[in-house]
Amino acid sequence: MRRQFLKRVAEMIRNEGDTTFFTVDIGMWAIRDILRDFPDRATNVGIYEDGMFGFAAGMSLRGLVPTIFGIQPYLIERTLEQIKLDFAYQKIGVNVVGTGAAVDYPKYGYSHYCAEDVGVIKMVPGVEFVAPGTAKQFIQLFNQAYRNGHPTFFRVSDHPNTVYDFDVEFGKANVIKTGTKATVIAVSVMLDEVMEVCADKDVTVLYYTTLEPFDKKTLAENCPSGNVLICEPEYVGSLLYDVIDALPDRAVKVKHVGFPREIFRNYGTYDEKMEYYGLTSENIRHILHTLID
Amino acid sequence: MERISKELRQDSLKLSHMCQDGNLQSVFSCLDIIWTLYDKIMHWSPELAQDDDRDFFLVSKGQATLALFPVLIKKGFFKMEDMSEMGKFNSRYCIQTDVTKFSGGVENSGGSLGHGLPLATGIAMANKIKKSPSRVFVLTGDGEFNEGTMWESCIFAAGKKLDNLCVIIDDNNSVGAMIDMGNMKLKLESFGFEVYDVDGHSLVELEHVLSVKPNVGQPMAVIAHTIRGFGSPTMTEHEIWFHKAPNAEELDMLMREVDEF
Repeated sequence: MRRQFLKRVAEMIRNEGDTTFFTVDIGMWAIRDILRDFPDRATNVGIYEDGMFGFAAGMSLRGLVPTIFGIQPYLIERTLEQIKLDFAYQKIGVNVVGTGAAVDYPKYGYSHYCAEDVGVIKMVPGVEFVAPGTAKQFIQLFNQAYRNGHPTFFRVSDHPNTVYDFDVEFGKANVIKTGTKATVIAVSVMLDEVMEVCADKDVTVLYYTTLEPFDKKTLAENCPSGNVLICEPEYVGSLLYDVIDALPDRAVKVKHVGFPREIFRNYGTYDEKMEYYGLTSENIRHILHTLID
Repeated sequence: MERISKELRQDSLKLSHMCQDGNLQSVFSCLDIIWTLYDKIMHWSPELAQDDDRDFFLVSKGQATLALFPVLIKKGFFKMEDMSEMGKFNSRYCIQTDVTKFSGGVENSGGSLGHGLPLATGIAMANKIKKSPSRVFVLTGDGEFNEGTMWESCIFAAGKKLDNLCVIIDDNNSVGAMIDMGNMKLKLESFGFEVYDVDGHSLVELEHVLSVKPNVGQPMAVIAHTIRGFGSPTMTEHEIWFHKAPNAEELDMLMREVDEF
């Protein structure tokens, strides 16, 4: 996904004179030609996200289309005030592409983990959040959104779905299958695990890659049972408000598979973390069972 | 004090009285700087307010909004009577700016310190990319330079050779009560800026320094030495005017004081 993104950046910088690109000292090798050939519009800024967001906002005020690449926690939490004031308050656009979330740097410790990215961004009105499940989907969503004039955050995953790779549309959930007993919301890279469990079950599966704005309409139209299982590769509850808001005036039973709201003090591998925190098909099966059986 | 400096101060007093808020000490310290920029230096007029090649002025120290509005009124961009609802629930005008409520005249939303200079730096870089002759002037506080984003901007501006960027520091000794920042001139020079000092209340000196042609490839900083509340002995002497709006009686007294200064 990262490689596809950088390839797209190179294309964009070469062909679109109003685009700019900043990296926080990562991914340079892949775009070394662009950094050399377009020093004004493509820059390895260095390691100061706060200031960089301000510069990008200034460029956006002047009609340019800036894209920033960095590590998720520093792009979101270190810069929260810039996101709120420079972009949301002033109603100007930027594309922010972050690597590392939620636990893609599994040995770096809590400083590099970012399971709260979705929840934090959703608290700032007008800021969009996209979490593609595959490289193809990243490109589809980036191409649809990068010039929309809004601040848009893209979560790049190093562990994409490998079985299911549907075409996706910005702001729209995919109805993967329909059933009667529950609606399972598969977010981003959780789709493979969800489908391993749900392919032959009498449940609806909805696939979300745009998390803000959340497609409430598709959920409202595809939840006959009122039973909802949210499978999300971020802190549990990050989408809860949207789910409840999409299903007003009715009794809804919601269960979750996702990262628990605690500080992660472990290291190891990505797979070990997914296993430990229960973001597995086995746990999805178990929780679904408690919801519908 | 020259007549125009008095009139601008009197207008900001009226605005502060209307909305019953404001940081008048800080407004009085920077009024002469903003007036000089708009009157003598910038490629700007009400007709050019949305022109792509206009010069930009950004308020980084948000409290200076009550200094910007009187200048824009004098320049004919706003009318004093339009501001009669200042600070009211649905007003466009208040003591900080919301850029989404304006078409020209106001270039950025203000309030939190440490944001205007990075924005100005980005605009200056964009001007280079667009090959626009537009220059970018940004007014900061001295205390504002406590914020890390200010120094991040300095690194970027010098590294990208933004000679179209001019940072004006309203050095009204806000940092006097804080940890000593040391020699700002040396600090900014070491970051790659061409730095000038100026008496921030002398219109003649301000015009002289701000007219200096920038060195090619080097951003400019002007440290304007100012006095909080300059133009009103009451405000200069009494700290309460750091954040206080005049009532009707105080307004009369301060208007007279400014007139006699």
